[in-house]
Amino acid sequence: MKNIITVLSSARLAMALLVIILACCLSGVTLWRGAEAGRMVFATLWFNGLLVLLVINVACCFFGRIWGRTVTVISFGMILFHLSFVTMFLGVVYNSLFYFRGSLRLTEGETLVSGDPQSYDTCEQGKFFSFARLKGETTLIKMHVGYKVAGDDKRVAYEVAVGEHNNKKQGLIYVTHKLSHQGFDYFNDKEGYSLLLVLADHQGKELYGAHVPLQSIPVGTTGRYRYVTGHRERDTVVADFGPFPAPPEKPLFALQTAFEPSPLGERSGTVTFMAHPLDGAGNPEETSTLTRGKIAIGQPFSLGNSVVIPREMRYWVGMVVRYEPGKAIVLGSLWIGLAGMIITTIGRIVRKTNQDAAQLAGL
Amino acid sequence: MKTELMLFWIAVSLYGLSTFSYIFGLITLKDKLFTIGLFSALAGFLPHVAVIALRWSATGISPFISISESLTLGVLMIVLFFLVFQFSTKKLQPLGVLVMPVAFVLMGWAATLIKEVAATLAPALQSGWIWAHIVGATAGFASVLIAAGLGLLYLLKEKKSGGVYDKLPSLSDIDNLSYRFIAAGFILYGLMIVTGCFWANQVKGTYWNWDPVEVWSLVSWLIYGIYLHLRVTFGWRGGKLAWYAICAMFAMIISYWGIPFSVETFHSGFRIEH
Repeated sequence: MKNIITVLSSARLAMALLVIILACCLSGVTLWRGAEAGRMVFATLWFNGLLVLLVINVACCFFGRIWGRTVTVISFGMILFHLSFVTMFLGVVYNSLFYFRGSLRLTEGETLVSGDPQSYDTCEQGKFFSFARLKGETTLIKMHVGYKVAGDDKRVAYEVAVGEHNNKKQGLIYVTHKLSHQGFDYFNDKEGYSLLLVLADHQGKELYGAHVPLQSIPVGTTGRYRYVTGHRERDTVVADFGPFPAPPEKPLFALQTAFEPSPLGERSGTVTFMAHPLDGAGNPEETSTLTRGKIAIGQPFSLGNSVVIPREMRYWVGMVVRYEPGKAIVLGSLWIGLAGMIITTIGRIVRKTNQDAAQLAGL
Repeated sequence: MKTELMLFWIAVSLYGLSTFSYIFGLITLKDKLFTIGLFSALAGFLPHVAVIALRWSATGISPFISISESLTLGVLMIVLFFLVFQFSTKKLQPLGVLVMPVAFVLMGWAATLIKEVAATLAPALQSGWIWAHIVGATAGFASVLIAAGLGLLYLLKEKKSGGVYDKLPSLSDIDNLSYRFIAAGFILYGLMIVTGCFWANQVKGTYWNWDPVEVWSLVSWLIYGIYLHLRVTFGWRGGKLAWYAICAMFAMIISYWGIPFSVETFHSGFRIEH
């Protein structure tokens, strides 16, 4: 036990750990990119183990040395600096046990139950997080395009309502401005078009309707986008056909739609469509085309024995919902660490000045 | 743009003159050349400030958005620190031998990349944190560059004597000054990282993402953290730390200008998906 404490209190171990962590960071940003770097280095157990070991070493090494000594301005600054590492670590551990991060996708007018894991595209949470904390519903009221705050163009803002009927909060979310409610923070992430497709018979009786979110695909390097039904494969979006009506309804066709916005109106434009029949397994028979064409929003087109109407264009948004109770501790620790650095430096400058003055006086 | 370009190239030319004066001053050991170097740097600083002021006043957009602007502001801080230090001490005449060539090369690089001022500012950049972040980054780099320059002077004085070398402060004073600039750089880089965390938290809700720029900043900060521990805890002094300060400066250049503008990172994009 004594040997372990001696090793953990070693300044050489601290130096070795700093150099190893430095080398790991360098390899993590040179050998791998993006998520791969996380999988290979930054999110691994061994790398996080090194960070934990460094914090334990800092605590044992620094506080072991300074314990019982008279506190000076310099040592006080150093205590704050090294203490900030320990509190930061405690904040990270506390956060990892209780945190929640979810990705929520809503179309204008849509409401989802906040506490239902099914409402989220992806979500992750700490061991002790309870979904019961997420009370009520989340509604996207409207997405505002070209939103400005004091003359600054925020590009888009999401008007959102969260919470229960007796404890509801409504507000706007845009880059640099989140919505907070009962400890949960709502951030904007991404947005796109959502096309309302209505299936009707030839007598005009509506049989089915759904909002189909469109993905944006960059058109070369023009800075323009193509908005189309599709899915994401890693970091790229692939255009494809989707079952229509969508499950759980029985699909009748495979339908692809693309939207071309009109410069004349924010939600107006033309829709290009193409439909294939489905084979027995429910996959599109791409050798056979049922229909294809281009129409304006609101105009119907025939599809087999039915009519499909791209009735209106709305926006969908992707929001990030976060609950991170340890974050305040971590962020506070950063300031404590910085204050510690400054206090130590001031202390050293004062000491050197006093030493120089004493030397001059001695001469 | 015409006036701005003209002022830009005047600044680059004067920094070039300063660079060559310092280098030839060191080769010929003539004090006059160092004086020419110093006053050329001062003369170049004035159009340099004017360029930034012109661009800033044209749209009101913060003058550090593009790579060219980032380089220009970084070099401005380097030259400002250098001039203030030089005019306040007057004992370290050849310091510009390392500082001004770096300033000249970075400024020349910026000149080849200069573009019209952006018409709008990306929403992610409309944050107060960015100011403290940029001041920390540029002032931190200026500090460690001067520390590296002092490291070079230490190594030169250690090996050579006579002429200008005899006029330099003692080796221990140079070593101590270099340490002070590293300590200042360490704090300023700390400020950059802390404010960067707050900025990322405001925009994305996360303070740390292991993004390449974040990691490189951490690497730079750790490099100087190791320097301070080597000095304070392990008692290193002199030549070894002078070499360390010079080598660490190159890591800084990669971290500051190499990574953010060459790798796909949070810093390079600020794009909003549709």
